[in-house]
Amino acid sequence: MMLRYILGRLAQAVGVLWAVFTVTFVVLYLLPSNPVALLLAAGDVQVEDLSPEQLAALEAKYGLDEPVYVQYFDQLWQLVRLDFGNSISKNVPVSQLLVPRLGSTLALGMTAILLTVVVGVAVAYLAAYVQWRPARVLLRRLPAVGVSFPPFFIGLLLIQVFAFSLGWLPATGSDGWQTLILPAITMAIPTSAMLAQVLTRSLDDSLAEPYITTARAKGLSRHVVQARHALRNAALPALTLLGMLLGATVAEAVVVETVFTRDGLGRLAQEAVLAQDVHVVQAVVLVVAAAFVAINLVVDLIYPLIDPRVTHAHRTH
Amino acid sequence: MRKPRRIGALSLAAVMGLAACGGGGSPTAAAGDTPVPGGTLKIAFWDDAQGCIDPNQVYWIESRSLDRQIADSLTDQDPETGKIVPWLATDWAVSDDAKTYTFNLRKGVTFSDGTPLDAAAVKTSLDGTFALGPRSVLGLTYLAGYASSTVVDADTVTVDFDTPNAAFLQATSTTTLAILSPKTYQETPEQRCAGKVVGSGAFTLDSYTAAKQARLTKRKDYAWPSSLVKNQGAAYLDAIEVSYIKEDSVRVGSLTSGAIDIAWPREPISEADQQLIQAAGGSIESRPLPGISYQLVPNVAKGGPLADLTVRQALQKAIDRKTYASTIYWADYPVVASVFDSTTPHFADQSAALAYDPDGAARLLDEAGWKLGSDGYRYKDGKKLTLVDPVTVASPGDQLVQDQLKKVGIDLSLKVVTAAQRVEIFASGGFDLALTVLTRADPSVLGSALDQAVSKQGTAIYSQDGATATKVSELFAKGLQAVDPTKRGLVYADLQKYLVEQGVSFPVFERVQLAGLSSKVRGFAFTSEAFLRANDIWLSK
Repeated sequence: MMLRYILGRLAQAVGVLWAVFTVTFVVLYLLPSNPVALLLAAGDVQVEDLSPEQLAALEAKYGLDEPVYVQYFDQLWQLVRLDFGNSISKNVPVSQLLVPRLGSTLALGMTAILLTVVVGVAVAYLAAYVQWRPARVLLRRLPAVGVSFPPFFIGLLLIQVFAFSLGWLPATGSDGWQTLILPAITMAIPTSAMLAQVLTRSLDDSLAEPYITTARAKGLSRHVVQARHALRNAALPALTLLGMLLGATVAEAVVVETVFTRDGLGRLAQEAVLAQDVHVVQAVVLVVAAAFVAINLVVDLIYPLIDPRVTHAHRTH
Repeated sequence: MRKPRRIGALSLAAVMGLAACGGGGSPTAAAGDTPVPGGTLKIAFWDDAQGCIDPNQVYWIESRSLDRQIADSLTDQDPETGKIVPWLATDWAVSDDAKTYTFNLRKGVTFSDGTPLDAAAVKTSLDGTFALGPRSVLGLTYLAGYASSTVVDADTVTVDFDTPNAAFLQATSTTTLAILSPKTYQETPEQRCAGKVVGSGAFTLDSYTAAKQARLTKRKDYAWPSSLVKNQGAAYLDAIEVSYIKEDSVRVGSLTSGAIDIAWPREPISEADQQLIQAAGGSIESRPLPGISYQLVPNVAKGGPLADLTVRQALQKAIDRKTYASTIYWADYPVVASVFDSTTPHFADQSAALAYDPDGAARLLDEAGWKLGSDGYRYKDGKKLTLVDPVTVASPGDQLVQDQLKKVGIDLSLKVVTAAQRVEIFASGGFDLALTVLTRADPSVLGSALDQAVSKQGTAIYSQDGATATKVSELFAKGLQAVDPTKRGLVYADLQKYLVEQGVSFPVFERVQLAGLSSKVRGFAFTSEAFLRANDIWLSK
């Protein structure tokens, strides 16, 4: 039963990827300009300055002289073979751009999400646990503050304090674990705030359930009640949110990677969009979509472990 | 290790900062300093969008600054006078029709792969650059009319053109026409872009990862710099390490915290950041980028208001360039004085014709039939005097010009579009004013933007009516035929006067390259085209 469930989800994932490819292809080819003109404009040369032969040679080089449907199927077939083509603006195979940056962004995203979970859960747990009113209010207001600072501001602030003034950590670069810390904190502040907010709310709801009263009546300590009983039941909405936050890592990485001069997928995506570097944009979108699908698959697989009712629901359908 | 912050020095440094940035001379080059060899220079640029290091192909100015260290050229250009001086070529002869150039080469020069630099290597290099065609966007114009190169003997090479190209001599001083090892041309253009380039420069390229890092190490046996370099032997620096930091404040912070030695931005370093750098003991170097100044070009072809010469002359008077320089930049920022920046050879000052004169502008507009309406804008036959200027971002500078034009009743409409859309608009003529800039230390560069005889760009096609275009093309052609510098100077002086008077171009500001240096950096120098020259740089302890 579980195997069928997973296979079904995998088939869905392939469908999603194909749809994403098709939509990006259509959008990119409907944009009002041709990539060759843009490429030349970036170099202060207008497309009008080239002879028709030179232009044709350039278009042939990038496969832009074929009919659109031929380009579509060519590219689809290339993708099936994991060949992303060549970058127009950077003159190298897209995979060569993608692979090192994927690793960098993955490391950043994972560190940030780890921080998000630790900080988010801790704040929510304490917000529900602490009984001293001022501390309770403070812990409940904290997430709102965390969400309201824009990441670029937090990033510049952290750089100013920890890199330039104290000199503890490097301000720029993507080599070594030291360069991960400040950007990961920058990314984790808004996400952990969101997680804390959602988790606090659902913890409150769980703590109001009758089974909590039962557990308390059995004489269990508040800590045990909250950690063993309430938190587990409150975790589902937080897990869904976490899946979405993970999926949005690349979008967030655009800002953070620019501020901290990290060589990552987010910056690559932004630069490729500005340069209308079709193949790179497509590859990045597909990789992000694949990551999103994979993360949600994992989240879906974790649900039944936390809450057995989820698989029950599947069985009855 | 780290120096404590010197808050107290800030206000004094602020005053000194203003004094230093206009001077251009290096305040760090105190007398009695003897260069100490050794050390690694860390330099941070803002970005590397083209992702190419091949001097023959690249147009990105940051890459060209690195290329200057790894590849030498036939000639060099004096930043002060614009004069072309010997480098790999000891002397040369130019035919009177500017179609044949003969270069005598310096003996004993080798590429870093050991190959000797001889006439055959020069021919391979020029042929190889020409063969790049549109892949070398600058090479296309530098080698305009290129026919062939001929090896006369081992030390003599002749370059022939089909059409006169008097600007070619200056082109031989550029990084674009730098001479690379013959083996380099066996690599594909892509591989060359990615770093497979071998030159005869004072440094060799160890590694290059686009937009991430580059590392250059010194060539110990280097002994053939141009006469413009003080240090006639191997470089003082052991190596140069390059990074790219996109965020201005992070780049400046890296400089003041000692993580880098040179912060090299694209946009001028802000006044506040200059003060920060000076407060940390550093200094600022600056040089206006030679070539086309930042200017707006009219569309006279679509029957808009700018088809009328009187309106164009009014517009010329309505821009307050002095205020632009002092408010958008700082108090003694250079004021643009021609269609060329002041460092361009044969630059001729047109500041009298470019003076701010709102009353004169108003008079001319009245004369042309544009009457002031109750809303402060001018109208003629019920039509508002609106000029469409497509921009990608409405910068503070654009808004200042908009405000200045409003004072005489002109409505400057800043139409915000994407870069891609702007290319289309410039090509199709859907504008009243279009921006153009380009860096090259030779006045012929403006032809690529304005000369209808050679350029099909929107800024050329739409900016002049038939009679004006004939005259403009004639002047550009004369400039490319005139070999004698005095004659060239006269032609380009005529051209600059004509373009300003006829309102073919509206200069707005002078483009300036700045570099922030740490207190350790000595012997910094700009090349003529405002690129880095590292031969004389050394690091004090």
